[in-house]
Amino acid sequence: MAATFVVTLREGFEAALLLGIVYACLDRFGARQHYRLVTLGGALGLVASILMAIAVTRLSGPLLDLGPDLVSAAVIFAAVGLLTWHSWWMSRHAQAMRGAVQRRVEEAEATRRFWVLGLIAFTGVFREGAETVLFLWGLLSQTAERASFRPLGAGVLGVATAAALGWMVFRGGTRLSVRRFFTVTTVALLLLAAGLFSTGLGKLQGLGVLPPTEALWDTSFLLSDHGLVGGFATGLVGYRARPTFVEVVGYAAYLVVACVLCFGGRRVSSAG
Amino acid sequence: MRAWVLASALLAVGATAVGTLAADPPEIPVAIEKNRFDPDEMRVKAGIPFVLVITNKDGGPEEFESKELRIEKIIPAGKTVRLRMPPLKAGTYPFVGEYHATTAKGRIVAE
Repeated sequence: MAATFVVTLREGFEAALLLGIVYACLDRFGARQHYRLVTLGGALGLVASILMAIAVTRLSGPLLDLGPDLVSAAVIFAAVGLLTWHSWWMSRHAQAMRGAVQRRVEEAEATRRFWVLGLIAFTGVFREGAETVLFLWGLLSQTAERASFRPLGAGVLGVATAAALGWMVFRGGTRLSVRRFFTVTTVALLLLAAGLFSTGLGKLQGLGVLPPTEALWDTSFLLSDHGLVGGFATGLVGYRARPTFVEVVGYAAYLVVACVLCFGGRRVSSAG
Repeated sequence: MRAWVLASALLAVGATAVGTLAADPPEIPVAIEKNRFDPDEMRVKAGIPFVLVITNKDGGPEEFESKELRIEKIIPAGKTVRLRMPPLKAGTYPFVGEYHATTAKGRIVAE
């Protein structure tokens, strides 16, 4: 029962976290009227997850062997791109948005870039969505077999708990000052994207697209990535107990490039 | 100098690709039944790629997951998935069926 709860909580955590952050972004930009873009993105992500889950159960042969992996790798790198783009955009507009509320609204309206937040919501939900749908589906069939709602209940509770955590992130985010929100969110999103990027590289290694490399270190005695806390750490900052050389280098390289992109130009813009 | 490095890199990649295509990697059948893997231990030769042919005989989906090998693969009920595995260094690689991780456990031993 507890295991079921942990599975859905872990699978739902990253999606909830991203939704919490993007809703909070809109709130802090003074653009609550665009919430529906994020809601739409999340809802489409759910629809795509259900379609993917159906496709996986229908497919067979090479399509089943490779298809889902290619889709999930594509979603990961798309999410990295979107998160990087959004962080960069926020850092560029941070200066302007720190001004009066009214100016912030105008600036935000003028840019009309909020669809990116909708796309982030979509990739966030879709990334592990199909797995979660299939898992719940399996629990549902168990419910029929064993005439017990407990497994399904535990699974749904896991998703609900993830949603509650996302809500807390949202509430926490909207209570920060705009200035602090920008800094915290940019750092959080870049760490999350760095983790996703290295996850994507690891996946490519697992698929044999990139050559396998050895684990650089092993911290599984400190924090196993099988457990709940390890799962949260993976979702938040891309924690791996035994990261490969490629993952570590990719993680570091991503952070350097993204930080230069987001924080490097700030001095220039504040001078100008 | 750079061109030479590039050429030899391409050659190495090409040779690896041809090598992979030329030799059919050995297949290892695995069944999932009653939320367990059968067999739950596979012995493979280190350094040689292989294919896990996983058949899910249960009524619900399972996810073959190895954190060590960076593999997450859904195996729908009643389906067979061919999982191409990279050459492994000698060692033990645990895996689980994530959806029933308390019972579905196993390991690949490369030697």
